Amino acid sequence: MSVAGGLIARNRSRFDGFPEPLLESYEGSLRALEPRLTPTQLEAWSQGGLDLMAISLRSWESAAEYFKAGPQLAESTPWDTYEQLAREASDLTEQSAPLAVSFLRSAPATLTHIGPNHLAQWADFGRRLYKGNWKSSSLAAQFYDSGPDLFGTIRVSHAGRLVLFLDELARHSYELAAACLTSAPEVLGRLEGGDRMPFLTFGVELAQTSWADSRLYFDRGVPLIQRVHGPVRERYLTLAAQVARDHSRSVFQYFEDAAHALGEVEPDDHGPVIELAEQLAPHSAYAAMDFISNAPEVLEKVRIDELAAWQNHGLGILASSKEGGEAYFRLQSSRGEEILDTLSARVELSKVGDVLRLYAKALTGTNISIHASAVLTEKGIGWVDEERASTEGTTIYLPEVMERYRNKEENFASVKVFTTHQAAHLEFDSFSFGFDRPSTLFDDLRPTIPESADSNPATEIERFFDLFPDRTLASDLHEIAEDARIDAAIKRNYAGIRRALTRMQREELGRRPEVSELPLRQAFVENLVRVSLDGVDAVRWPAAQQDAMSNGVAVLQRLGEEGATVEDAAEATLRLYQLAMSVKNEREEGDEEWDSLPDMDQESLQLDMSDLGGEGASMEMGEPQEGDVEYESPQDIDFRGDFKPELVQLLMKLRDDAELGDAGQISPDQLTEEQLKELLEKSAEIDLDTLLEGDLQNTTGMFLSNLLKEAGTPTLDSDAQSDQPLSDLSTGAEEGEEPLAPIVTTYYYDEWDFRAQDYKPRWCAVKEAALEEGEDDFYEDTLKEYAALVAQTRKQFELMKPELFRKIKKLSDGEDVELDPAIEWMIDIRTGVSPSDKIYWRRNKVDRDVAIAFLLDMSASTDEEIARRDQQYDDSDDDPRKYLSWWVTKRRQELAAPPKRIIDLEKEATVLLITALETIGDDYGIYGFSGYGRDNVEFYVLKDFDEQFGETTKKRIDKVTPIRSTRMGPAIRHAIHKLSETDAKVRILVLLSDGRPQDHGYGRDRTEKEYAIHDTKQALNEAKREGITPFALTVDRAGHDYLKTMCEDMGYEVVGDIESLPRRLPALYRSLTE
Amino acid sequence: MAPGGLVLAAEEFTVREEPYYLPLGDEIELFEAAFEQRIPVLLKGPTGCGKTRFVEYMSWRLGRPMTHISQGGEAPLDDEGPRPFVTVACHEDLTASDLVGRYLLDTDGTRWIDGPLTRAVKTGAICYLDEVVEARKDTTVLIHPLTDYRRLLPIEKLGQVVEAADGFLLVISYNPGYQSALKDLKHSTRQRFISVEFTYPTREQEAEIISHESGVDLAVSIELAKLGEKVRNLKEHGLSEGVSTRLLIYAGRLIERGIEPRRAAQVGVTWALTDDLEVQRSIEEVVTSIFE
Repeated sequence: MSVAGGLIARNRSRFDGFPEPLLESYEGSLRALEPRLTPTQLEAWSQGGLDLMAISLRSWESAAEYFKAGPQLAESTPWDTYEQLAREASDLTEQSAPLAVSFLRSAPATLTHIGPNHLAQWADFGRRLYKGNWKSSSLAAQFYDSGPDLFGTIRVSHAGRLVLFLDELARHSYELAAACLTSAPEVLGRLEGGDRMPFLTFGVELAQTSWADSRLYFDRGVPLIQRVHGPVRERYLTLAAQVARDHSRSVFQYFEDAAHALGEVEPDDHGPVIELAEQLAPHSAYAAMDFISNAPEVLEKVRIDELAAWQNHGLGILASSKEGGEAYFRLQSSRGEEILDTLSARVELSKVGDVLRLYAKALTGTNISIHASAVLTEKGIGWVDEERASTEGTTIYLPEVMERYRNKEENFASVKVFTTHQAAHLEFDSFSFGFDRPSTLFDDLRPTIPESADSNPATEIERFFDLFPDRTLASDLHEIAEDARIDAAIKRNYAGIRRALTRMQREELGRRPEVSELPLRQAFVENLVRVSLDGVDAVRWPAAQQDAMSNGVAVLQRLGEEGATVEDAAEATLRLYQLAMSVKNEREEGDEEWDSLPDMDQESLQLDMSDLGGEGASMEMGEPQEGDVEYESPQDIDFRGDFKPELVQLLMKLRDDAELGDAGQISPDQLTEEQLKELLEKSAEIDLDTLLEGDLQNTTGMFLSNLLKEAGTPTLDSDAQSDQPLSDLSTGAEEGEEPLAPIVTTYYYDEWDFRAQDYKPRWCAVKEAALEEGEDDFYEDTLKEYAALVAQTRKQFELMKPELFRKIKKLSDGEDVELDPAIEWMIDIRTGVSPSDKIYWRRNKVDRDVAIAFLLDMSASTDEEIARRDQQYDDSDDDPRKYLSWWVTKRRQELAAPPKRIIDLEKEATVLLITALETIGDDYGIYGFSGYGRDNVEFYVLKDFDEQFGETTKKRIDKVTPIRSTRMGPAIRHAIHKLSETDAKVRILVLLSDGRPQDHGYGRDRTEKEYAIHDTKQALNEAKREGITPFALTVDRAGHDYLKTMCEDMGYEVVGDIESLPRRLPALYRSLTE
Repeated sequence: MAPGGLVLAAEEFTVREEPYYLPLGDEIELFEAAFEQRIPVLLKGPTGCGKTRFVEYMSWRLGRPMTHISQGGEAPLDDEGPRPFVTVACHEDLTASDLVGRYLLDTDGTRWIDGPLTRAVKTGAICYLDEVVEARKDTTVLIHPLTDYRRLLPIEKLGQVVEAADGFLLVISYNPGYQSALKDLKHSTRQRFISVEFTYPTREQEAEIISHESGVDLAVSIELAKLGEKVRNLKEHGLSEGVSTRLLIYAGRLIERGIEPRRAAQVGVTWALTDDLEVQRSIEEVVTSIFE
């Protein structure tokens, strides 16, 4: 009998009372293990199982798994492991039989992954999760169950961290822990080996601080992590973990934002960014994460190597003020923005546009606008390149951003060169070419060339280009000639930018294509481009054909002379065209040497020139020959931008026509649609294919209407309306049309963050709109109600009217001697007393020059009714009949005259103030404000400064109603803006409110008062700085406490008795201005 | 330049050296003709375009011994010596008594002293009221009887009327540009004067003036004049007044003294013109474009 058989026989009786399968598995187990184990070992193994069965009522289940597990262990498993398994099983079974079942069931498969040495550790992990209740037991069981899966992907050390994580989560929610455990193998499997540990470490921190985010982290974390460059992932996670440790709020949000942001940064830059963030982390973990989150935006402005400088500034701020530093890295501080601007090498058109506009205006003497090139291309009128500078005659278009060089000055210098070149086109009349106007340097060839009879050019320059069979070549040559002339004129007239221009020309020369690889005619043109860039030395040309080139160069160089005009450029174009046509457009086959031009002595060139001019009488324009390669235009020159004289002249002409049309005249040579179409088809300046997609007919039509719109002419295809009188078209409004929605203008203002001691740049959007109009009843009723007061106020204010000349007495100098002091003076002299010399009087002209902005709080709280000081019901007298009669009287009163609300009194006060102001004639504006959140500060105009008081104002007062919150700061700032536009000497801002400033996001939370009060205070300070006298008036009896802070050294008043407001306000105004 | 330290009574001041003046048009002939006919003259033009210099020059010119006989065949103009020249800069507190005169207190009582206008009227000087609109309205009314056929100055406080001496001529200047609408010249006043308009000189003329007055060579002064021309393009667009020739001359003098042109233009033009940073920056760009 085998050892197994003996053991089975011996122990059979112990299985009595247990289910049959238990014995079966016992038998199976022993028989299977018999070959592997020594008899002693087998017996020990058997005993281990039997012991399990004895532990508790349900422990036979774990024993069953024990027996099953044995044979499943790998054959090479050492005996120690069997023993250990038995020990662990027994231990676990003592705690919970189901736990032991799970453990034993997955032990064999798990052991293949972790190896026998880690068995104890694995068992420990599970035990750690088990807290003695059924939820923890099921979690621990799940952990054991998932063993094979889990360890198929991760190492034991990872599992330790995972258990830590799960344990932490389980303290809050077992369901969450279970869910995370379920997804763990798959989630961790997607990560690279090295990332798992930090991923879990962060998870643990997250679980400790904001456990609810853990699920999100497990679900979404992996793709986020993968956005971070591999080698630095671990550091990123460590950093994030640090943040989580230090803070508990929205940790995952930070993690997610930062990871997203890193995804937008070049992978190679992740290292430096994270390193800089790590330096910030000890000071403020928020700052570190915000720094990463905002890195893409910052890196748009500065290069990666400048980022450290920006971070360093912020670090300094952070060290001195945590709040300040955090705002800095949140990009919510003006200081941060300034530093960014200083560091940034790039020049943004939006920042320098105004300077350039005035600069261009100074240069040209006409009103020039500056816009981004994209604006021009959007118009769809022939310009297609968004990156290049250009002009259409009234506006200079420039690229939006210039970041060609590594420092700001150089970038600005190049924008300036761009601008100067375009302005010079206007200053030196590139677009006022006249076909019949004689040139100054050449003998005019234009009249000698036969013009085609059937052409009907729209513009002078079109007529000129019509002379040429190859229009593209002519257009290119003309551009080169004209640009050469312009550049020379700039250099002659503006010594200051000569250097920058020369530098750009040199750079352009460096970018030119290799000339000797071009077909000959193109090479000719290319050489001319080089000459126009002041690069005669860069000309390369076959020595055998030197004449043509030398002549061309000489022609072009003449345009650099003082006094050269656009007509000279045209004449030069004619000559260059002929020279270009004299060379074939084919590639040079032979090994002929391409040489630079020999030094030419001026005389021979002049001679050549006159030769050229001399033949004029028999001038023939060449045409492209057969065998020529198709001509291609030379490469563009960046700083010169797009030059489109045909289009500009056309636009100018259309504009003129439109102006004449407006004046009721029809231009004698009004352009016809055919002319326009013809021009479009011919012109080399317009590439209709790239301009717009679609069939040609459509495209041309669209293009035409765009052009006409740009020029301000009514579109030609509006035939349907053409029989209507012109005036109808101009009014635009049709009868019965819906009233237009009020026009809302948005302004942006900074907001003061007292914690950071800095402004949050462009933080609040103030939306200004005229208030709706209601009825004027309210106004009239108020006047009636307060008739006596109105009369009184008027009288008082009339008295205030300044006498134009007020006599001032007792002056030491003046218009004349005043009698009384003069007599006293004489007496003093006679009595030997030292006399006072103040004996003159003079009239002093007093101009009352006052502007007042009146800001009305329209927050919801003004809806509150005012507790009337009517007889209150006396509680002590509890006779129900009396109460009832009191109540009935009160109701009746209320029905007859509804109780007034704060807003009603505000309105009444306004009405009275208007009466007063109209009497005295001061300039005033009345505004209401409310809104919700920083993006939506509503600012209502009841009466603007330049508006006349009238029916509209009266009707608008009616519509003043309580709306929402009170964000005072931006409203005050906007009122300051309004006031500073008036040129009054005395400017006053009166703020009428019913409580402290309060709004969503106006402070950390709704209950925080300091932020809002400090911002309001700062806004009032700004007013003072602008020379405006601010005055705050509140009807909030508790107003003293915050007004004291808000208006430290400024005037304020708490109107305790609310109902006296209408009376108080005009009086107050008087005292303010007298 | 005149030697310092000399103290003169208002009516004794004469322009003895020929001031530099470059005629821009026919203003000299006009003024001479007006003077002969004793027609009061109003000079209009922007700040620093040479109005004061012109009057000074004319005062000197008319003070020269006259050689020609005026058209009417009358005798040569009255005097042989230099012509007295009285200038009053008007300000908004200038009162009638500031012009006419007032009583001053003396140990024994009061003493009357004539104001500058009275002195000019009495001595037959050219009286130049600079920036006349700045003065109070009552002063402008005061000059009415002086500027028509009467040529009288009533002195209310003395109860006197002074008849203008023969050489007396009233010249006022007025800058229509920068005064506010409130400070326009009343029609009853302005229609008593012939009006000579001054504009900025052309680039070449201005260069000549700058070169003469500051001593810089013509090449530099043409650049300065160019700067002036460009900056004047900005008038009404950030600048209420174009740069004056005077400022350009100052810049020229600084350059002459060895100051770097860009710096000279900065202190002499850019900063002198405006405090608006944006406009300053724009002018600065024009300066750096023109000067190396």
